[in-house]
Amino acid sequence: MNLNIKLPEKISTYAILTFLSVLLGAPFLYVISIALASDETTYLAKFTFIPQEFHFENFARIFQMDLNFTRFFMNSLVLVVFAIIGQVVASSLVAYGFARLNAPGKNILFIILLSTMMIPGEVTLIPSFVIFRYLGWTNTLLPLIVPNFFSNAFNVFLLRQFITRIPTELDEAAQLDGLGFFGIYFRIILPLITPALIAIAIFTFTWNWGWFMGPLIYINNLDKAPLALGVQILSATSSSGQVPPWNLVMVGSLLLTLPMLIVYFFGQKYMDDFGVIGGSAAIK
Amino acid sequence: MNKMKKREAIWFYIMVSPWVIGFLIFTLGPMIASLYLSVTSWDLFTSPKFVGLKNYIDLFTKDRIFWKTVGNTFYYAFISVFLGMIASLAIASLLNKPLKGMRTYRTLLYIPATVPVVASSLLFIKLLAPDTGLVNQFLALFGIDGPPWILSPDWVKPALILMSLWSVGGGVTLLLAGMKGIPVEFYEAAAIDGANSSQQYFRITLPMLSPVIFFNLVMGLIGSLQVFTEVYILTNGGPNNASKMIVPYLFDNAFRWYKMGYASAIAWVLFFISLIFTVVVFRSSKLWVYYESEIKKS
Repeated sequence: MNLNIKLPEKISTYAILTFLSVLLGAPFLYVISIALASDETTYLAKFTFIPQEFHFENFARIFQMDLNFTRFFMNSLVLVVFAIIGQVVASSLVAYGFARLNAPGKNILFIILLSTMMIPGEVTLIPSFVIFRYLGWTNTLLPLIVPNFFSNAFNVFLLRQFITRIPTELDEAAQLDGLGFFGIYFRIILPLITPALIAIAIFTFTWNWGWFMGPLIYINNLDKAPLALGVQILSATSSSGQVPPWNLVMVGSLLLTLPMLIVYFFGQKYMDDFGVIGGSAAIK
Repeated sequence: MNKMKKREAIWFYIMVSPWVIGFLIFTLGPMIASLYLSVTSWDLFTSPKFVGLKNYIDLFTKDRIFWKTVGNTFYYAFISVFLGMIASLAIASLLNKPLKGMRTYRTLLYIPATVPVVASSLLFIKLLAPDTGLVNQFLALFGIDGPPWILSPDWVKPALILMSLWSVGGGVTLLLAGMKGIPVEFYEAAAIDGANSSQQYFRITLPMLSPVIFFNLVMGLIGSLQVFTEVYILTNGGPNNASKMIVPYLFDNAFRWYKMGYASAIAWVLFFISLIFTVVVFRSSKLWVYYESEIKKS
């Protein structure tokens, strides 16, 4: 890395990055322009890049429709909260086991765990659907929530890497003080890996908030639909020739995106720490 | 001491039991079940009928739409992963320069990656609308008559690839983290030996980064082979099946036409395709992925 960068290189770097930021950012302005458009403009599809109309009432209208967006939003919230609780509890417990405890068969189990990351989920999709249907869980959020309480390979792997970096002397000292294995996990390890747990929570949020295929398969009842499915339903027209209410669809898309942005801005610090570890985990 | 070890082993099994149970119920069990279903004909409502390898034989010899979906998926996966890798490497290299404001640029470029696929797909329907869409309006400024994108069999896959490039920031973050992890001493030593910055880039940055590139390639390929939501929302496979991919086709078979056995066979073909790709990338990695011997030991 050359530390004294010359002026032309400096200018070209800034120029390229500014151009790219504008290019990738422009669609956001377009979304806002469509979201604030009147119904007439929407019908004629005469959207402008720079917002010309400011129908802020569209943001209230979306909550007053037959499609219950308040309910969609709450369903998504329930889904992610339980998914996060499940992943944080289960993955940390499993990761502690793999990082610190020894038992026959541990290496084989860990290799199986790693190889499950390579399996496309579609292979298990149909039997899983059959199981949940047999349990009577279709049209509920349960098929989307419950598997999280059994951890997932990616989270376990990352948390294990994190726990391995904690000096074992801490465990030994705690053991001398009479703490058992669960005590060490709960009192020593968990507090030390809090930043990693927050990162896991953010990952789980990110994966579940916008998840579409799962809800599409399991939920036919509008009362149980999460937001991602709700927005898609709003955009799908029942008859050909009918124009979707694009202004409200874009309001819905913004509603779907906003929590992701908020979580990203507040979680960036934790993701940064974890990004470095994720990167170095890949190097190892 | 032995008793101690036994207690430790018992605790190990208790602690990893959530994953083991989940693996048995949600992975291994369903995999065996779907392998069985793939040799049956089943409509979900009556009991499955054993048909031997008929589903696989039909897939490989009769089903021309299936071959089209495989071709479309490869086209999409290879080009989007390849272009995404080049773009994210280029952007990460720029952001890695010791200049002010790089954090802000990184945040700005990452934002599209936070948009859920449902929202970005709906947005791209509008962005790529042939007459009124922003992309073609932009091209018109330069006198270019933009293509009909998702309405044309020739342009629908490039349209999906274009959309995947919008969220290139996700890959940038990992590569940038990898670049920041390279010890400065390497560059200092190279500079003393008279290496210029492009030599440093190709002799230090890229080799040191190759494990991260490798990881991104494997994950990116496996992920894009499973592309679903974009296709379902943007085109539903059209026009003329030009954007029908493997997983949307599997979805149609299973949940539209209730051909559960046939859909399971498709799932297993997808599994082997992913496996072959992973093995090929892993094998080839010996040729181009550089592992520092010191790190390898630990």
